[in-house]
Amino acid sequence: MPTTHLLYIEDDPEIGEWVSSNLEARGYTVTWLKHGDQAVEKAVDCQLVILDVMLPGLDGFTIGGRLKQKYPKLPVLMLSARTSIDDKLQGLKFADDYLTKPFHPDELAARIEVLLRRSGGIADPAPLRIKHLLVYEKENRIIHQDTNEEIVLTGKQFHIFAYLLRHLGQILTKEQIYEAVWNEPYLDGDKTLMVHIRHLREKLERDPANPEVIETIRGIGYRVRT
Amino acid sequence: MKFRPVRKFRKSLLTRYVLILGIAFVFIPVMIPISFIAAWGVNVLLNPDHYGHEIRPYGTGKQIEAAWHQAAAELEGAQAETINAKLREMKHRYPDAALYWVDTAGMTRLQLPEQASVPPQWSLEDTIAFMKQRVDADPFTVVAFIGGDEQAKQGFMVLELPRKYMVIQKGEQFSDNRFYGVFIAILLGAFVLLSYLFFSDIRKRLLRLEAGMTRPGPDGLPSPIEEGRPDEIGRLELAFNHMVFALKDSRQREREEEELRKSLISHLSHDLRTPLTVLGSHLYSLRQESLSEQGKQSLALMETKISDLSGLMDHLLSYNLLSSGRYAMSLERLDILRIVRESAAAWYPVWEKNGITADIELPEQPIYWNVDAQGFRRVLDNLFQNLVRHAGSGRYAGIAVEPYEGTTALTISDHGPGMGSVSANGGAGLGLQIVDLLLREMGLARATISSEAGTKVYIYPAAKLSLK
Repeated sequence: MPTTHLLYIEDDPEIGEWVSSNLEARGYTVTWLKHGDQAVEKAVDCQLVILDVMLPGLDGFTIGGRLKQKYPKLPVLMLSARTSIDDKLQGLKFADDYLTKPFHPDELAARIEVLLRRSGGIADPAPLRIKHLLVYEKENRIIHQDTNEEIVLTGKQFHIFAYLLRHLGQILTKEQIYEAVWNEPYLDGDKTLMVHIRHLREKLERDPANPEVIETIRGIGYRVRT
Repeated sequence: MKFRPVRKFRKSLLTRYVLILGIAFVFIPVMIPISFIAAWGVNVLLNPDHYGHEIRPYGTGKQIEAAWHQAAAELEGAQAETINAKLREMKHRYPDAALYWVDTAGMTRLQLPEQASVPPQWSLEDTIAFMKQRVDADPFTVVAFIGGDEQAKQGFMVLELPRKYMVIQKGEQFSDNRFYGVFIAILLGAFVLLSYLFFSDIRKRLLRLEAGMTRPGPDGLPSPIEEGRPDEIGRLELAFNHMVFALKDSRQREREEEELRKSLISHLSHDLRTPLTVLGSHLYSLRQESLSEQGKQSLALMETKISDLSGLMDHLLSYNLLSSGRYAMSLERLDILRIVRESAAAWYPVWEKNGITADIELPEQPIYWNVDAQGFRRVLDNLFQNLVRHAGSGRYAGIAVEPYEGTTALTISDHGPGMGSVSANGGAGLGLQIVDLLLREMGLARATISSEAGTKVYIYPAAKLSLK
């Protein structure tokens, strides 16, 4: 199985050394650059870019912008010690994620995995295992492991479930889900989403009255966890 | 740009107006003869026949009279033929005049030319009537006794000359004083007009200045205005432009300072966090080693402290920005419950990990407050963080909406040991200070009720309270 190739741009030798070895230990191939001059050339065969902001020469925002211009589908994760909201907003204009230093390597790895999964950067991903479900994201297939049968969802149900899967482990408010799936502003008191979730649960859950796959977080929203 | 008002007397508005007045005064003596001449000129233009006639060189009335009397005197004792000859000679001299003579018997003799109005035989009454009629009348009439006086008994001779053929004598000329008045009026009018133009120009420039001062340019500041003549208003315009430039300069400096401060904070943040990251990386590597239980505990403590330090740095830097008024707020009417839910969603995993049960009782109906979304998130983040750090032992996080002092308040409560107790983790002050600064900027207020059984924070719109 070919390994996933990451491009990592970081000027601090200690952090760079540590992150590269940590990611390599997790099975990724890492190309570590100390400055961004060759970033665009080196990114050709990479599945993801991890980018520091404060770099000698061109700064991370500029490099990220260029990378995104050349490879619009290549996920970019900003890894920066700059925590101000301005910096985050500027970064997220093009980047797919923004992680501030100091960070825990497990969090970095988790975010990389989410980004890769979302972009389809993993060559042949293993099916996602959620409770009793097996989800083959590439083929849009959901298998009920108890019966080994495929679960067929309607368009909206599929969109909702896919959105929850894309934000695996995150709690999403009903406004967020509604606006992402329907692509229009959520109106207060709208029950449409609840109705769809109920139908979705009837198909996905072992016991719809006691849902395991789509958790309800009382007062906040919904969550799907592995 | 250095601005120094230049007081040049000749450029002053006052000087200009005094000049107009002065010219008006100087012109009064000049104006009167000018108006005479002008009146005469207009009269010439309007009555050309009065002035266009050839005036024959007959001389004045007196000259004609003298010449006629002399001619009569020369005829003393002359025959009728001689008299006729003299008259014809005189007719040559005065071709426009009518001449005739009357003998002692009252018979009209030679008439040059023949006139119907002259009686052929003069009675005494005719003579008297004639004399009365002709005094100061037109035609100008001269009657002379032939031979010099009545003693000669030769009769009299008459010369009648229409006055228009005579040289105009003083007092006789045609004149129209109305034109003189008109010219004076025109000159006075010109003065008034000049004054009016002078003041209307001032008025126009003042209005333009006013418009320039009140109409803001694209950057919210008034735009500089075009400078006119260097008089008082010109200097005012110059001063105004100077002010605009100074304002722009200061605005620019302020922006630069803001940028500088932001970039300083960015660099500070970077420089402080990089070593922390390195420290964290080494702790992580250490964790892979086989360690004693105590060593593992030390590591965990160090990791917590690193994350505390990082949070504290965040606080410090935002506090710096906030307290210097460099934090850009954009207040919008937003449903705060939505922000609360999103923020709680982000914190939920942290609470779960810390064994904190979240009790979230938010109404379906939205609550709209004027807030800055980022600022409000920051407030919630700080409060939730404090909850985890200092009240985690209560194992409870409550978020609700409750009535408070006549308004609606968002409440965040915990079952921690209360704020009176000394928290093991310390450092809550800065986070709360930031919360208060942010709330004040958004017109909100915070009230905290804290006891050993827990703490409850109320957040509510402050404006409504101040109305009470």
